[in-house]
Amino acid sequence: MNSLKRKSIEEPSGSTPPQKHQSENSNGAVLVEKTVTCLHDVSYPPGYEPTSTTTTATGAQDESKPAKEFPFTLDPFQSEAIKCLDNGESVMVSAHTSAGKTVVALYAIAMSLRNKQRVIYTSPIKALSNQKYREFKEEFSDVGLMTGDVTIDPNASCLVMTTEIWRSMQYKGSEVTREVAWVIFDEVHYMRDRERGVVWEESIVMAPKNSQFVFLSATVPNAKEFADWVAKVHQQPCHIVYTDYRPTPLQHYIFPAGGHGLYLVVDEKGKFREDSFHKALNALVPTGEGDKKRENGKRHKGSVSGKVGEESDIFKMVKMIIQRQYDPVIIFSFSKRDCEFLAMQMAKMDLTEDDEKVNIETIYWSAMDMLSDDDKKLPQASRHSSYSKLHAFLCFCLLALNVSNMLPLLKRGIGVHHSGLLPILKEVIEILFQEGLIKVRRKLFCLFATETFSIGLNMPAKTVVFTNVRKFDGDKFRWISSGEYIQMSGRAGRRGIDERGICILMVDDKMEPSTAKMMLKGSADSLNSAFHLSYNMLLNQIRCEEGNPENLLRNSFYQFQVDHAIPDLEKQAKVLEEERNSMIIEEEDSLNSYYNLLLQYKSLKKDIREIVFSAKYCLPFLQPGRFVCIECTRTDEKSPSFSTEDQVTWGVVIEFERVKSANEDDESRKPEDANYMVNILTRCLVGKDGVGKKTFKIIPLKEPGEPIVVSVPISQAIYLIFFFCLYAFAALFIFAKFPISIVRLSSARLPMPKDLLPLQTRENMLKSTSEFLARNSSGLPLDPEANMGIRSSSYQKAIRRIEALESLFDKHDIAKSPLIEQKLKVLHMKHELTAKIKSIKKQMRSSTELAFKDELKARKRVLRRLGYVTSDDVVELKGKVACEISSADELTLTELMFNGVLKDIKVEEMVSVLSCFVWQEKLQDAAKPREELELLFTQLQDTARRVAKVQSECKVQIDVESFVSSFRPDIMEAVYAWAKGSKFYEIMEITQVFEGSLIRAIRRLEEVLQQLILAAKAIGEAELEAKFEDAVSKIKRDIVFAASLYL
Amino acid sequence: MRNLQLSLNQTQKIRLQTALEKLESLSSKSNSNSCVTVADSIPIYEDGILKGHGTSDRKGELVATVCGVVERINKLIYVRTLRSRYKPETGDIVIGRVIEDYDHTMVFQIYFMDLAVSVEAKASFLRKKTHMCTHTAKENLCSSFKIELIAPPLTGAVHQSLRRRTAVDELNMRSIFTENDLVCAEVRSSQNDGSLQLQARSQKYGKLEKGQLLMIDPYLVKRRKQHFHHLEQYGIDLILGCNGFVWVGEHVEARDTIVVNDSEQLAKKSGGTSMDLDEQVENHTPPETRQNICRIANAIRVLSALGFNVILEVIMETVKLSNTMNLDIHEMLGSEFYVLVAEKEAERRSSLSQKEKVILACNLRTKF
Repeated sequence: MNSLKRKSIEEPSGSTPPQKHQSENSNGAVLVEKTVTCLHDVSYPPGYEPTSTTTTATGAQDESKPAKEFPFTLDPFQSEAIKCLDNGESVMVSAHTSAGKTVVALYAIAMSLRNKQRVIYTSPIKALSNQKYREFKEEFSDVGLMTGDVTIDPNASCLVMTTEIWRSMQYKGSEVTREVAWVIFDEVHYMRDRERGVVWEESIVMAPKNSQFVFLSATVPNAKEFADWVAKVHQQPCHIVYTDYRPTPLQHYIFPAGGHGLYLVVDEKGKFREDSFHKALNALVPTGEGDKKRENGKRHKGSVSGKVGEESDIFKMVKMIIQRQYDPVIIFSFSKRDCEFLAMQMAKMDLTEDDEKVNIETIYWSAMDMLSDDDKKLPQASRHSSYSKLHAFLCFCLLALNVSNMLPLLKRGIGVHHSGLLPILKEVIEILFQEGLIKVRRKLFCLFATETFSIGLNMPAKTVVFTNVRKFDGDKFRWISSGEYIQMSGRAGRRGIDERGICILMVDDKMEPSTAKMMLKGSADSLNSAFHLSYNMLLNQIRCEEGNPENLLRNSFYQFQVDHAIPDLEKQAKVLEEERNSMIIEEEDSLNSYYNLLLQYKSLKKDIREIVFSAKYCLPFLQPGRFVCIECTRTDEKSPSFSTEDQVTWGVVIEFERVKSANEDDESRKPEDANYMVNILTRCLVGKDGVGKKTFKIIPLKEPGEPIVVSVPISQAIYLIFFFCLYAFAALFIFAKFPISIVRLSSARLPMPKDLLPLQTRENMLKSTSEFLARNSSGLPLDPEANMGIRSSSYQKAIRRIEALESLFDKHDIAKSPLIEQKLKVLHMKHELTAKIKSIKKQMRSSTELAFKDELKARKRVLRRLGYVTSDDVVELKGKVACEISSADELTLTELMFNGVLKDIKVEEMVSVLSCFVWQEKLQDAAKPREELELLFTQLQDTARRVAKVQSECKVQIDVESFVSSFRPDIMEAVYAWAKGSKFYEIMEITQVFEGSLIRAIRRLEEVLQQLILAAKAIGEAELEAKFEDAVSKIKRDIVFAASLYL
Repeated sequence: MRNLQLSLNQTQKIRLQTALEKLESLSSKSNSNSCVTVADSIPIYEDGILKGHGTSDRKGELVATVCGVVERINKLIYVRTLRSRYKPETGDIVIGRVIEDYDHTMVFQIYFMDLAVSVEAKASFLRKKTHMCTHTAKENLCSSFKIELIAPPLTGAVHQSLRRRTAVDELNMRSIFTENDLVCAEVRSSQNDGSLQLQARSQKYGKLEKGQLLMIDPYLVKRRKQHFHHLEQYGIDLILGCNGFVWVGEHVEARDTIVVNDSEQLAKKSGGTSMDLDEQVENHTPPETRQNICRIANAIRVLSALGFNVILEVIMETVKLSNTMNLDIHEMLGSEFYVLVAEKEAERRSSLSQKEKVILACNLRTKF
């Protein structure tokens, strides 16, 4: 079955004629082959001459037999990549998660082992390294593992490690780095990670120059750019094998919140079905109070806020999935809390048979055997009691699924997987889930997971559900990017088992078809450098005889990308300049002066309008029924009109309302300061643009159109929001593309009818408006000074200046020329072009310099000021200490140590202080630590503040207070208790954090302590060294350091 | 300098005296009161101090365990020794001599001392488990060494092959290193038992040939960013090992692997790797180079005998001085040259300190 399936995929590529061999072109890049399923390309370093027999002999030439044979037919991209490996050249493989990139890695390892070379495999995550270690160990025996937590057989030929370990290995120097022939970077797209991405750049730049690389990455559109960079930095050809084919095609469905069915939106051929998308959106049941909640910023999704009694959406969904046999299913949500809460809603569901239950229980307890009895009982509460508690404290308390209450869920075939779980539980769940791949009888049918589950090991399901299409990214909710969507949906569809994978989006908001299309069918995120400097990096570079931070910067991917952009920018600037020069205008000078006058006039008008229509003055006059004069929607978006008279129309005020801003407390603001919107009835033209989106145009009253209520901001806010026909049930917000504003108010009012719903009423109102205007062509405007009582000096000043300007207009000769409108438009375009050229040139100037040059200087200045390096770049004692510290803020910790803070306190207190360096999550209402710990924390904060101040004095961009508050005291108590010897369940009672997070923090703390031991040795302080060692032995015990199940 | 034995005539004696006095007056002002000898108590001005190297707590009193200068960094107090054996630190460049080879390990003599205990140091060098032997017995530093011109460099071959070390390689080590070979390496880490791990980070480390080794007091070699120097005008490599071993030898094509920029890379490509270096073997070192080696070596001898810091600029100045005076190489070790060098150094330092004063004054002026 398996091989059959793969053959059928092979066919299209097999039918294409055999690939032609490469012909070189000038810049070195050649398109070698293009099949249906895979794209192969080569990047040559500048000036490289390909030779028939590569200089980097791997011994592959004389042996025709492949290093490893696979029991199945390889996909074209796999065999293509392996061909490159056989030639001994680096390759970058960019393919979807499920496509089978591991095959390439396996081949590279097999090849290296055959040639008796060392090979290094790096992955971004410890857990992934553990899993890969297990996988490789089964395949080849000579495998070692090095992560921060564990080291197994570091002398093996194949070493699996995290990228951070590989980097520090290169800094410290090791015989391994000289023997390694192949380095495999898995999930190399992690390079765009804001915090850790720089590690990849460092390790790739510093990698041994005569080794080859295998890069495995998710699909990235700029794989070629990456390969070019590698080719340049390492002076060797680098192949790119790119494929965006999926072994199992995907179908995308939408499940509208509150609705009942699934709507196929994108079929397996990749066609977007507009009609069913609209059907899906129409099936959305409006969630009564939903609007309010949204504005308050507390968006509890429809799927989450299901009431206790009735079946929640997620329950309905899972039921449907099971009925349709779409299981196993992975359900993604974007927070740990949601994830657990959703799992809890499955209380009534039972997906397993009895024998499966027994089976699951056996696996579970055999895994848990390694825990101590106390840990097994973690937390005591049974699942049901925590369920009822949950409803009481939903927003306040973190509920925790753990050892004892996870089992009932698991036995029902439901699992939870997120980073807050105990590592061991996470692993049990992974194992149970994977079992489903091997046996027909699955162990887990339904897994609730967070985004972290979407990277790493091959753990696909038939169906993937997104419980939300928006994600909170620090400060606001945003749509999931297409890249994230691709990564997560990559889990759908098991190769060889399912014919197609299924993706279901649970939508509870109206979304535009274009947004949906972008998300479902958009391209993957491109691989952009997230390079940044750190002191540890600088010190390590300075310390090396050969190291040089400038070199690292020059060779970084960041610099490469910047350099890459220059020719493009140049071309752009040139084109624009040509365009500008081709525009020839008669009498340009006088036109120019006229143009400037116009600009002034407009800005003055705007000023006046702002004064008149500030809430203070105009609110009393915005009674329902008042006639107002508003601007018409301009037809030409590009160029503003250049007449002194704007095109205006009239409407009737319906009402005004205050706009609540999401983050501000409304009571605290004075009524004058708030933003107001006025709803105005006027005539609009309703049309449809290309994408099927409705567009509105305000048009003069006499033209044909619909009477519609529009909402216009009276002051600051710029964007106009149209209310769809029935303003009372305002449902659809559509944002106009350009601002519109009220021009003036009339002194006359129209009697308001009671009901605006009938079209006829509104039509009548507009009719009477026209009649009124016919009688008074001026519209009897309210005089700002006389009627509205505006007595502001700035207003009067502006009025006088406008009058002066108006007289100037009349004097201007050019104003009488016939084609003035067009001429001004051309001139305006010319001005815009000039501005554009200017900004491009500025960008070019900044990129020709070495990126980060100024920051490097500033940071070196900091190091000198604090006495870490001398003026001629020799690392001093303090610098040597900071060199050792890579898992915490090196400067603050070094200063803390040199200030003797760690010297006189107890070991437990010291551990507790150090915990502030490794804890980054913010807790809302964490209890304050006890007094002596609080005191220590203040000392830490003082030190941090001093370090931050020195940095800001040295012109490093840093916010002192946010730097200081980046040290969190939240787990000090817990860690103190842990060092005192408390049981894990005891410390879980005093803190509210997730178990998994706490365990991760303590493990990282141990890493920091190990680094401090080395640092203490460097300064020769034996007592302190002994103290650190004592601390390590105190925290390194029990469940926190329980070995991974994969080992 | 204390054991400097020169036959000076009366005028030379006086000139040397004045030069040295001048030097002393320039240097000793700054930290004369913080000099300690063994068992001197070190004043503590604040609480919670950290005791660093060369200090010990005795009945609540901090005492020095070595002679030297008290240094304070924040709350850390340690004693910087003035004249002592080499104390290895991570990242130091050292030069060692192979003195033994047994059981697939190499024993290196790098002349370091830790607390006056002779330690067997284990070193991992060129992927070999090697032993580093420390000699507590001080050897005659200024003994003259013959210039050794032996076989072409072989180390490159091992570096180049990207395979794991096998038993055959271990046997072959014998053909690469034999007793008395000189090797340059970097200190990777010191172990808990006081032993040391060495490593050759890149191609420029390894066996040293066609040159001359000098052993000087390690305190004369200051830690710098660069310890490898290529003196282009003389065609010579100068390596200032932190352990007091100084290598002066014929320049070997840098097999440096760090990419500096494109043009250099291209040059390297065309210049060939060390593989072809084997082919372009040239056993012969031209006499001018040999002379240059001797001249530089003698300059270093003079400086170290006078107890001056051996840094590149001073060495080069000394060499220049000998050249301008048209001295033969052997005449450099004559007493007149010693005196001249001492005078020159005194002059240099006083001008330096004046310059510093000027800079200081400038800084002050800008500040206020």
